[in-house]
Amino acid sequence: MWTRWLPSVAVPVVIAAGVLVGTLPAGAADPLPARTPAQVIELMGTRTAVSFTGTLEQATDFGLPDLPAAGPSSGPAAAGDGPAGSVASIAGLLAADHTARVYADGPAKLRVQVADGSFAERNMVRRGTDVWFYASKDNSAAHLVLQAPDRGSGDPSTATPADIAGRFLAAADPDTEISVGAEVEVAGRAAYNLLLEPRTADTLVGRIAIAVDGETGLPLSVQVTARGAATPAFRSGFTALALGAPDDSLFTFVPPAGSSVREIVPPAPGLSHDVGDSETPPSGPRPAVTGSGWTSVLAVPAPAAGGTGAGANALLADPLLSQAAVDVPGGKLLSTPLFTVLVMADGRLLAGLVPGERLQAAAAAAQ
Amino acid sequence: MLPVDATAKPPRGSAWSLLGSELKVLFGRRRTWALLLALAAIPVLIAVAVRLSSTVPAGRGPAFLDRISQNGLFVAFTAMLVSVPLFLPLTVGVVAGDTIAGEASHGTLRYLLVAPAGRIRLLLVKYAGALAFCVVAPLAVALAGGAIGAALFPVGPVTLLSGDVIQPPEAALRILLIAAYLAVSLAGLSAIGLFLSTLTVVPVGAMAATVVVSVVSQILGQLPQLEWLHPWLFSHYWLGFGDILRQPVLWDSFASNAVLQAGYVAVFGALAYGRFATKDILS
Repeated sequence: MWTRWLPSVAVPVVIAAGVLVGTLPAGAADPLPARTPAQVIELMGTRTAVSFTGTLEQATDFGLPDLPAAGPSSGPAAAGDGPAGSVASIAGLLAADHTARVYADGPAKLRVQVADGSFAERNMVRRGTDVWFYASKDNSAAHLVLQAPDRGSGDPSTATPADIAGRFLAAADPDTEISVGAEVEVAGRAAYNLLLEPRTADTLVGRIAIAVDGETGLPLSVQVTARGAATPAFRSGFTALALGAPDDSLFTFVPPAGSSVREIVPPAPGLSHDVGDSETPPSGPRPAVTGSGWTSVLAVPAPAAGGTGAGANALLADPLLSQAAVDVPGGKLLSTPLFTVLVMADGRLLAGLVPGERLQAAAAAAQ
Repeated sequence: MLPVDATAKPPRGSAWSLLGSELKVLFGRRRTWALLLALAAIPVLIAVAVRLSSTVPAGRGPAFLDRISQNGLFVAFTAMLVSVPLFLPLTVGVVAGDTIAGEASHGTLRYLLVAPAGRIRLLLVKYAGALAFCVVAPLAVALAGGAIGAALFPVGPVTLLSGDVIQPPEAALRILLIAAYLAVSLAGLSAIGLFLSTLTVVPVGAMAATVVVSVVSQILGQLPQLEWLHPWLFSHYWLGFGDILRQPVLWDSFASNAVLQAGYVAVFGALAYGRFATKDILS
């Protein structure tokens, strides 16, 4: 009679074997021809307009507190909710992982769908200069007309991708060691692994790895690893990628009936400050950058009284972040494996890809 | 409880006639109809509540609740969403837990097993009956939701999560797809119920145990500390049917869900077979 129990043992064994086989790396395809870093960057530059359908996943491990998974409600309890750009939504973007579907057809047609949990989605639809944003959570849409690409019209003839690659390498070289690592496989495609390693030990960043598709030159994934860490603290990359033009109707967006539609006025281009006076906070003090390269520290001065910059205080008012921040002399320090943010009691805010001590030193030096 | 004399002397011709009589008994029961009516009452309650109340503020309550007053088809979406965590598992637990233990408690199991090698066939037929209920239960919610929504609210084009708009016929198709998704979702739980039903001669025990298992699985799925376990829980993809409301439809969760449920059906089907084939049938 005991043989009747054999299936009960065999089925789990078969399932376990299937799972194990599934996790084994697939057999390597033909190796890519060896290329120097300059050639890989050139490959990125020469890539012809790529059409594809892909699934992009972003995962972060910043050591910020996790919230329990929210239920099926669309209510404000879920992490990362709140109006776009609010502190809560930024914290949610940092702490949460995201999955997005990306559709691209040439340079001018793009659609990105970011899943916000099971029953919400944010969309960005671009066709030519028309860009639409849509959030299902509050059924709101926003429209933006892109400016004509004025700076690109410089002289395209003089800057070949090879030139750009050379210039980029020359500019980066004093601070960064750039190399091509062992070939990697991303989303089932063979890719060059471009490695950027800071030459200084004063930054938290240990290495940035960019996987560049060997065939099309499309960047497939970016991984940022903290100094001394074994696994990347920030990962963003395709988990599935299919070349070929997606259905053209995907790039057409008409705001649904009943949605609120907002027109976004694009900020005036750099030089014309006199025109867009009312848009940008004019009187507020400007952020300053001290240091150079990887050890740069961004310092945002205290907002003027009654000014627009509620940033620092709002940051600490957020329960999620204030819980993660630790008290240091003169302020509060938020540490992650990749970057630190120091909020001073006097309202200044400093941030950088550096250890907290350097921020404190910079804060002290600026006083 | 109705007398189950129909199962006591089933036609012995083939597995198909056995299945036919099983379905006839299952859907001839007043209890089955009571379960389906209870499920159909969920969208009716939601629709009436929204109809009687003032406008629902956006972002409060279950997803889609605020859209109902503009479009009645959202009643079906909301009702299916609301019924997934408890009501559907509850009714499926009652049906699946009753499969073997119900016959045993009535003393009819012996007669069903007179034919040699009848146990596998009986197990398969009983599971098929439970699966039929898994198909019908979400359909009851969907159809009742669509009907009451159309009766109380205007019906028009439906805005998907991606912001694209589809016409009512396609929306009806998506509602049916979601019902199919839920039917697949409940297949694993039915297999668990079938196995639990072979362990006891007290049907209520198997029913309660099945419902408890579904609740425990969902609670484990809420704990971030057990993240490694989540993809293995049979309730992991239960709320993933929102992917059918994206444009284009994201089939990944449908496929993953089907694979996961198939695994549960295989494991608990084998366990049920091991138990049922070695069991001394005393009643």
